[in-house]
Amino acid sequence: MEIRKAVITAAGKTQHHLPLQTLVDRDGQTKAALAIIIEEVLSAGIESIAVVIAPGNAAAFREAAGVHAERLTFIEQARPLGYAHAIHSSAGFTGNDPFLLLVGDHLYLSHTGQGCAAQLVALAHVEKCAVSAVQSTHESQLPYYGAVGGRLADAARRLYHVDTVLEKPTPTEAEQRIIVPGLRAGYYLCFFGMHVLTAAVHRVLAGMFEKNAGNEQGVHLRAALAQIAGSERYLAAELEGRRYDFGVKYGLLTAQLALALAGRDRDEVLREIVELIATVKSSK
Amino acid sequence: MISALLPLITSADPQARDRSFDELAAGLALPELLAESEHLDAFRRDSENLYERVRALFFLYALHRFHLPARLEAGRSGLIPFHGFENLLARRFGEAIDVFLASQREHGPSDALCSALATAYHRLAFQTLADQVRRSVRTVRGNQWMFRTGHPKDQPLRFRPELLRRAEDGSFPLLCEQTPVRMDLTHSAWSDIFFLGMDFPEGAKVLNISVDLGVHGRDAEPLPPVSAWLRVIEQPVLRLVSVDLGSAAEITSLAEVFDFAKDHLGLLKAAVIASGIVPPGIEGSGQSLADLLAQMLGPGLGIELASSVNDIPKGSRLAVSTNLLAALISACMRATGQAESLTGPLREHERRLVLARALLGEWLGGSGGGWQDSGGVWPGIKLIEGVAAEEGDPESGISRGRLMPRHRVFSREEIPDSARVALQDSLVVVHGGMAQNVGPILEMVTEKYLLRCAAEWRGRKEALGFLDEIIAALKAGDIRRVGRLTTENFRGPIQAIIPWATNFYTERLIGQVTAEFGADFWGFWMLGGMSGGGMGFIFAPARKAQAQARLQAIMSATKRDLAASLPFAMEPVVYDFRINEHGTSASLLAGSSALMPKGYYVLLAPQLLRRDPKELGTARRAELDRFAGACRTRPELRGVVQELFDVLIPHGRSENAGAQVLEELLAENGFDRETHEQLRADLRAGRIGLAQNRLPANTVIEDAPHREDPGPHDPARGLAALRAGEVAVVTLAAGAASRWTQGAGVVKSLHPFCKLGGRHRTFLEVHLAKSRKTARLAGMAVPHVFTTSYLTHGPISAFLAAEKNYGFAGPVMLSKGASVGLRFVPTARDLRFAWEEMPQQMLDEQHQKVRESVRAALLRWAETAGEASDYRDNVPLQCMHPVGHFYEVPNMLRNGTLAALLRERPQLRTLLLHNIDTAGANLDPALLGRHLESGAALTFEVITRRIDDRGGGLARVDGRERLIEGLAMPREELEFNLSHYNTMTTWIDVDGFLRALGLTRDEVLANDATRINAAIRGLAAKVPAYITLKDVKKRWGHGQEDTFPVAQFEKLWSDLTALPDIESRFVVVPRQRGQQLKEQAQLDGWLRDGSARFIEDLCEFG
Repeated sequence: MEIRKAVITAAGKTQHHLPLQTLVDRDGQTKAALAIIIEEVLSAGIESIAVVIAPGNAAAFREAAGVHAERLTFIEQARPLGYAHAIHSSAGFTGNDPFLLLVGDHLYLSHTGQGCAAQLVALAHVEKCAVSAVQSTHESQLPYYGAVGGRLADAARRLYHVDTVLEKPTPTEAEQRIIVPGLRAGYYLCFFGMHVLTAAVHRVLAGMFEKNAGNEQGVHLRAALAQIAGSERYLAAELEGRRYDFGVKYGLLTAQLALALAGRDRDEVLREIVELIATVKSSK
Repeated sequence: MISALLPLITSADPQARDRSFDELAAGLALPELLAESEHLDAFRRDSENLYERVRALFFLYALHRFHLPARLEAGRSGLIPFHGFENLLARRFGEAIDVFLASQREHGPSDALCSALATAYHRLAFQTLADQVRRSVRTVRGNQWMFRTGHPKDQPLRFRPELLRRAEDGSFPLLCEQTPVRMDLTHSAWSDIFFLGMDFPEGAKVLNISVDLGVHGRDAEPLPPVSAWLRVIEQPVLRLVSVDLGSAAEITSLAEVFDFAKDHLGLLKAAVIASGIVPPGIEGSGQSLADLLAQMLGPGLGIELASSVNDIPKGSRLAVSTNLLAALISACMRATGQAESLTGPLREHERRLVLARALLGEWLGGSGGGWQDSGGVWPGIKLIEGVAAEEGDPESGISRGRLMPRHRVFSREEIPDSARVALQDSLVVVHGGMAQNVGPILEMVTEKYLLRCAAEWRGRKEALGFLDEIIAALKAGDIRRVGRLTTENFRGPIQAIIPWATNFYTERLIGQVTAEFGADFWGFWMLGGMSGGGMGFIFAPARKAQAQARLQAIMSATKRDLAASLPFAMEPVVYDFRINEHGTSASLLAGSSALMPKGYYVLLAPQLLRRDPKELGTARRAELDRFAGACRTRPELRGVVQELFDVLIPHGRSENAGAQVLEELLAENGFDRETHEQLRADLRAGRIGLAQNRLPANTVIEDAPHREDPGPHDPARGLAALRAGEVAVVTLAAGAASRWTQGAGVVKSLHPFCKLGGRHRTFLEVHLAKSRKTARLAGMAVPHVFTTSYLTHGPISAFLAAEKNYGFAGPVMLSKGASVGLRFVPTARDLRFAWEEMPQQMLDEQHQKVRESVRAALLRWAETAGEASDYRDNVPLQCMHPVGHFYEVPNMLRNGTLAALLRERPQLRTLLLHNIDTAGANLDPALLGRHLESGAALTFEVITRRIDDRGGGLARVDGRERLIEGLAMPREELEFNLSHYNTMTTWIDVDGFLRALGLTRDEVLANDATRINAAIRGLAAKVPAYITLKDVKKRWGHGQEDTFPVAQFEKLWSDLTALPDIESRFVVVPRQRGQQLKEQAQLDGWLRDGSARFIEDLCEFG
């Protein structure tokens, strides 16, 4: 299975400005978050990228993409009808091809020489099926993420067969339905914000939108993935890396620190942090 | 040696496993039993399997409680090592057993050690079982995460957005959960006890019906009786309101949430915790409740949770509190998205989740119902049954069954509507008014099951047959047959397992209903753990309306007759009921309908109205506005404005009425105000108190020398005295059965405590029956005196008149108490001494927490009410106290009873004095003869000590042999050096006692009050006054009770043995003669060890 296309969603009401934020990358270069994400995608061998945006945002996004702007296709989501709808807006772009799906408000930092997107694409290529990147996540974070349940497929590569997909489950539901063997108690496989999906997802979503005409916001990617888990081989993979959601409080700061501490300016940043700790007093 | 008993535990063959332990053990001799004990003890230490261990422990208990003592040499005394006893109190049962076994190896087996080992094995067995249930509750999937959450930031729950959406007026919507209660139509032979369900899942089955209730004649129609109300509020607090208990609190700290007994909001707190809103793992973290609330709701917001029970009283046997807990939990689970359904009924997996959390909540709250009790969460009629544990279950390999049962709701095809209607048309559900603790019953059931006691085991299997038949009859709509079957079930298996399931009150009700309705009374149906509270009577439909009216009248009249004998908590009521076909169900109220139940406003609106409206916040102001509007339009709120005014401006209620009655009663009963004030001054100054009761620390207290059994004594001398009419019996009947009924305040002598000779008998009747038999043997009537008190005189007098002295031929006299005290609010010093300095039974972890919290509340109460102030905040009879049995015989002089007796029997020489609960005391001619021959003024009967015989004993004190009270022991452990226990039964030489008083028979007959009083005061001055704490109950609301420890003083009869001018002797008597019945929980063992049979042989019932 060759994965040549990627879709980045950035049309959400609260997230459409996030990819435009400026960050200093590991190499010390200042660039927009969008550019960093695109570089992540390109490192995985992706050739064409679609960005789903809110109407009227194309110019800002094009500028933020910098040198990569020409590789991008912008798809405007005419009305804010939710995440699943945003993905489905890209159906024409992806056609019958599998594609890499990312959210525009996450940054990924690999612990190896291979980027997170590249790891995922390589796995999907070998396994020839849809694969979602997941991260072992403490249950206190469940209100923020989708989570999957399943069984180990390959412990060495940390691959799992997915049989259940839940969107922001309560810990009670999680404990009853998505305990995964091998994880620590209180930890679940939560989505990493990165998937390789097949065209099947668009077929399933199309069916769902048809059924929910007029209530498009009632259609969720989780439900589509759950359906896919029941009908075709669908894996989850724990990647060698971490995601940073810069849409949450202090998320951008954390993402920036992670980038800096993993890059060439590590010592300088550490020095700044130590100085801050020593000089700034809490007013609490 | 190969064990004969171990195969009962280990055999793979169910037939071998289910053989009766008692029958096998009965065939073994003493050495074999001792060897079996060793085998079993080694086995229980090694076995990995929980239920094997538990069965071995119960076998060991039964060996030491019933089989070994019967084979030991009679009268052989022994000592119980104090260190072992301390371990027992500290719940270190395993260590206690080791200490007792070491002592047994050193000194040989004894009755005393057997009793200690029996107690330790029994407690260890129940502790092991309880620990396992708790572990299972924690390991249920969906419950575990709450025990890991230790910080507000870890809290994964969020409130649903629907509940956070404000209306235009700023108010939040209100979630209302309404839940039916449950009735158990088959009675399950208590198979819904968790231990049973988990060990014998195939035998754990009940037919459980969800019902709406209304009080007949009061409510327009039956409604779900239980409701929970939840909403978001504008303050970062947890506001808990129990409408029925009239209690509300705004909780601001996590520690307070876990303080279950601080107020009457324990159930609501348990729900908040069990639902995960305040996860149990966060207890003790020191974190902030506001931060936790902010994590779930956003900053500055809080939660209000209210409960309401539509005035259904406690003890209804309808599992009201468990279903209320379930309703509260359900509302909390919906609000936090743990149940997907925000409104309407729950789905099956959601109900199971609520059940799992309700189990957790019950454990947290320190209560513990059966597993069918949350049945109201499910709709209609359902079969609830145990499920075998399978691979992958947390219970697998530990217990045979799962913790959680399976619910199968019967469809309309299986049980048609016509059958449901027919049941409703025939069944009259009542609350008989008794609220009793069923805890001991549940323990007995578990024990008998694990021992496979033969009759019980047959009964259990029979009960399963009844279940099938009742279901079949219900499916066929044959309610007459249902009635016949529930009656047979009650008469057969239920009472075969637990004879105490019925009582005198229930039997009288059934008798009267049968007499009045004849063939139209189709059957009786016991609800829940025991009868007397919630019960069902099944009638021909045409007579139902009449039966409802008559049952109310019959129950009320019977209760009036028996009010002094049995612990009634409330006036009996008849219910209207309807099968609820939805189970628990919720609705979301917004706008003008978002109002709490009426009682909520009666409770809280007065405080709100007194405050400045500006302080209230927009949502509160809007709510009050809505409420005011609703008062004008909603019929159910009619009259509420008047109620509010009554609360806001209390009008002149006759608050002094109770105080006046108390003053009158004190005056009537010889209250000595001067002594009282002296006692108060002494108490406050610390001159008297629990610590001061004790003898000086340098007192030498040794065990009395061993008494050889003198062998059978010639009864001739005693018989001659009886024939000559020289003897009378004095039974102490002044007591209010405070231990017997846990402070309920009934007349113990009138309690129909046990079936003897085929009928329930009161203590009074049993004592008269023994005197009747003696009189027949001697050919001479025996006078029988009952000493009474202000608590018991009126009821005993009326009862004896109504029963015509049970047909007793001899003279029956009442000696009315002539002295009374007024109780004090205890001093904090004495409370602390009682709780900290005296050995206490440590409870298991959760119960201990509850107890500590209760104690903190009681200390606050004592300090705010005023230490050593008069205790007047209760019904007058609970404020007064008897002043100790020292005064009982002197009172006979004061009130002329002895004079009357001497006039009737000038030849009278001897009195046999005994406690009301010493059921085996009688005029034994041999013992009488020995007393007469000894020439002693007083002969006290003692028995060899068992572990429960606490409170002093026979000792050599500074060289003099005497009885010493437990209160006077300088150190607790000294009591454990004494091998004999005082039974209080005393043979009194009348002239010898009068000599001690400095009186003559002529002076007694002359009834010179001044002379007699002076003599009594003189003697009383020689014996110490002890300060004691007594638990008294204060009843309120609908069957609710609070227990308060109050201080009082007493002088004790046995201290006469310390006086050198009274010749006292001591005689060891068999246990069955000397043992006392102090607690109802003793009765089952008493019946099983042959004691009841022994009493029956002494009696001749009229």
